[in-house]
Amino acid sequence: MNCAEFQSDLPLIIDSGSSPTHDEHLRACDVCRDLVNDLRYIADQAKLLVTMEEPSPRVWNGIEERLKLEGLVKPMIKSTATRRPMHRAAEPYK
Amino acid sequence: MSEAEAISRAQQGDGQCFESLYSFHKRRVYSLCLRMTGNTAEAEDLTQEAFLQLYRKITTFRGESAFSTWLHRLAVNVVLMHLRKKGLPEISLQEALEPAEEDGPKKDIGAHDQVLNGSIDRVNLERAIETLPPGYRIIFVLHDVEGYEHNEIAEMMGCSIGNSKSQLHKARMKLRDLLKASRAERAAAKR
Repeated sequence: MNCAEFQSDLPLIIDSGSSPTHDEHLRACDVCRDLVNDLRYIADQAKLLVTMEEPSPRVWNGIEERLKLEGLVKPMIKSTATRRPMHRAAEPYK
Repeated sequence: MSEAEAISRAQQGDGQCFESLYSFHKRRVYSLCLRMTGNTAEAEDLTQEAFLQLYRKITTFRGESAFSTWLHRLAVNVVLMHLRKKGLPEISLQEALEPAEEDGPKKDIGAHDQVLNGSIDRVNLERAIETLPPGYRIIFVLHDVEGYEHNEIAEMMGCSIGNSKSQLHKARMKLRDLLKASRAERAAAKR
């Protein structure tokens, strides 16, 4: 197996396992081995990307407005108990 | 209050619980939208739309899958619909059958480059993902970042599993080139 043949098969084998022929080529070929290692490293690093970004407050403001317009939210019932207004940031549930 | 309770109350129209669900899930949904579109304004609009659709459909949630999975899939569909409306090129069979010249085998025999292992940080990877062509970026984000399988991506994108694998491979190859170029630039800047 040469590099062209190995790299042509690479999309199909890189995540799902290779044949003895592919493994043999990998053992013998520095270029293809480096390529496979790089691609696997990129995939592994991608899995570690954490969700760091947060939307601006306008997103919730827009949602809140639409919920009220569409009647998806029940009107707040007035009571003697102190109620926190909906527009204040809610604590995530535990 | 547990998530199950928050969902149940939200299904009955409890606005506070809607907000709790939003607070808990907003970052993941927004990050997904941002990574798939590469644009903060679009990502915010799509996040809003995803949660609005969630609340419109929340009474249909029966707990057969995890709530986060259900929401996530809904968000992916919102983004894909948006990208289709924009007319962005999706995976085409033609592209898969006729790979570009740049996709040819690497032939640097005897002159192998430094491997990437250990040299990527999160910021550089995020930046590189942002510069990917939209079709490559979508597949890469869905598979490698968000963890969808090729059969799921194929169903979402309306393509074959083979196309999904091919596009993912091209995305990774492109990222490899981008990250190596970035590393070379940083090394040159230090001199």
